[in-house]
Amino acid sequence: MSDDEDRRGKDERRHPSEKDETAMPRRAHDSGRVRAAIRTELEEVAESTAELQARTGVGHGEKVITLENISLAFEDPILENVSFYAKSGDTVVVVGESGTGKSTILKLLLRLLIPDKGRVLIDGEDITGLTFDEALKVRQKMGMVFQGAALFDSMTVYENVAYPLREHTVLSEDAIEARVREKLQFVDLEPDRVMDQMPSELSGGMKKRVGIARGLANNPEIMLYDEPTSGLDPLTTATITYLILKLQRELGVTSIVVSHDIRSAFRMGSKIALLANRRIGFFGTPEEMTGSDDPYIREFLGGF
Amino acid sequence: MILESFNDAAKRSIYSLQEFFALAGKAIGFIFVKPFYAGDLFQQMDAIGVGSLGIVLLTGFFTGMVLALQSAVQLQTFGATDYIGSLIAGSMIRELGPVLAGLMVAGRVGSGIAAQLGSMRVTEQIDALNTLGTDPIKKLVTPRVLASLIMLPVLTVINDFVGILGGSIIAKFYLGKPASLYWRTVFEQMLSGGFTLHYIPNDFIQGLTKPFVFGGIISLVACYHGLKTTGGTEGVGNATTRTVVSASILILVVDYFLTQIILAVFQP
Repeated sequence: MSDDEDRRGKDERRHPSEKDETAMPRRAHDSGRVRAAIRTELEEVAESTAELQARTGVGHGEKVITLENISLAFEDPILENVSFYAKSGDTVVVVGESGTGKSTILKLLLRLLIPDKGRVLIDGEDITGLTFDEALKVRQKMGMVFQGAALFDSMTVYENVAYPLREHTVLSEDAIEARVREKLQFVDLEPDRVMDQMPSELSGGMKKRVGIARGLANNPEIMLYDEPTSGLDPLTTATITYLILKLQRELGVTSIVVSHDIRSAFRMGSKIALLANRRIGFFGTPEEMTGSDDPYIREFLGGF
Repeated sequence: MILESFNDAAKRSIYSLQEFFALAGKAIGFIFVKPFYAGDLFQQMDAIGVGSLGIVLLTGFFTGMVLALQSAVQLQTFGATDYIGSLIAGSMIRELGPVLAGLMVAGRVGSGIAAQLGSMRVTEQIDALNTLGTDPIKKLVTPRVLASLIMLPVLTVINDFVGILGGSIIAKFYLGKPASLYWRTVFEQMLSGGFTLHYIPNDFIQGLTKPFVFGGIISLVACYHGLKTTGGTEGVGNATTRTVVSASILILVVDYFLTQIILAVFQP
């Protein structure tokens, strides 16, 4: 019997009324070890991501997305003086605790919300002052993947992916079918097997992949993802992370990903924006983040 | 404190009204603006019209029969049972047909629209439409409003007809009146209220204006509550309930004022 098993056996034999004086210090000690291990893992991931991105030249182009001093409040303040940018081909992952306004940033980029102060620039154009119809046109440059995929449940997979093409292009039905097949294959789905299925017949991971295919249908320059890996098993999480990386490398799409999954964030992000207390607490590469001495950042990374 | 909460409630009500009329204005305005979602329109006409045919036939038929039964008792007192056809036709065409069809459609279609749009809202499908460059009002609300405006008058005409048919059965088998007498009094009643533009009986104007307005009320109230849904599946249930209650009340209230206006304008 190993020492650990022996100790566990003794703990289980102890009567619940007996006070375990050593419990708290041991837990704190274990927690410290776990945090250190997580940080080491994140540092390794950050290094390999940095190497890969240096090789592929990600994030060296023009600024495609810029948020400048954005402030937004409903009844309470949501965002205060938030600024960050994404260069062509960048994948910026916005991380932060739940309820810090991460998804609000995506709504600002889509101009579903207008900031109280500041500017949102897409390809250098300020979209905050656009009319509703002008905003619809800007949105066509973007593909969005929702947390729950948000597939239209009255339409088949084919009709879902074809929707933006039918809505905004004059492509023939044959051309649309070819594009739908191409996008479904890109997200590793067999078109002949899934095209006629309804969203309710798909698993969570397949729905996410169809959501990505629909977002990609119009060949957008920008992809936005809202919690793409939330609620998925580790294997499907890895598949979705791989797909986002594939998009970045093969198509050079600029992406903003909102996530609370820091491991995936480090794998896919060329830059990380940490949202804390309504402000950007950190904006930089994953490598810079793991090297930061800021107590909040170290606490945040250790918490995962 | 009480004054403050009253003030807040009043502000919220005014804001809601403003939102409702903004939605109504956009939805109706989009009827004349491209792109036209013809497929969605026909789908909604099928769901609202054909889908509601069964309950409209049933309610119309039995309402006509029960109306004839109750009226027969009263008319027998005065020895005026020959005019049963006239009474049934007048009641069904002017009042019961439109109101009953409206209430049935509010219950069946209004709740369905609110639940569907509410589910789309809470599962982010409405946001997805927006991000795909489609105006959700144009894609979802306009076809439903237009389909209701077209189909509710059609359902009402069917409701009127089966109601009068139900009345004819009671006239024949309960009162022993010949069918020819019954239908002659029905047509006399239709033509007795005067004409608009020389040819259109005023009863038809009243009987078709009401369902047209009710169709707009049902679809707009349902779409408004559906699109405003918050709070997950519980919110969808609340939106459905609010739709049926507010649409039903509005139908009855608006019916009164519409009758007043139509009588004032079209009374010979």
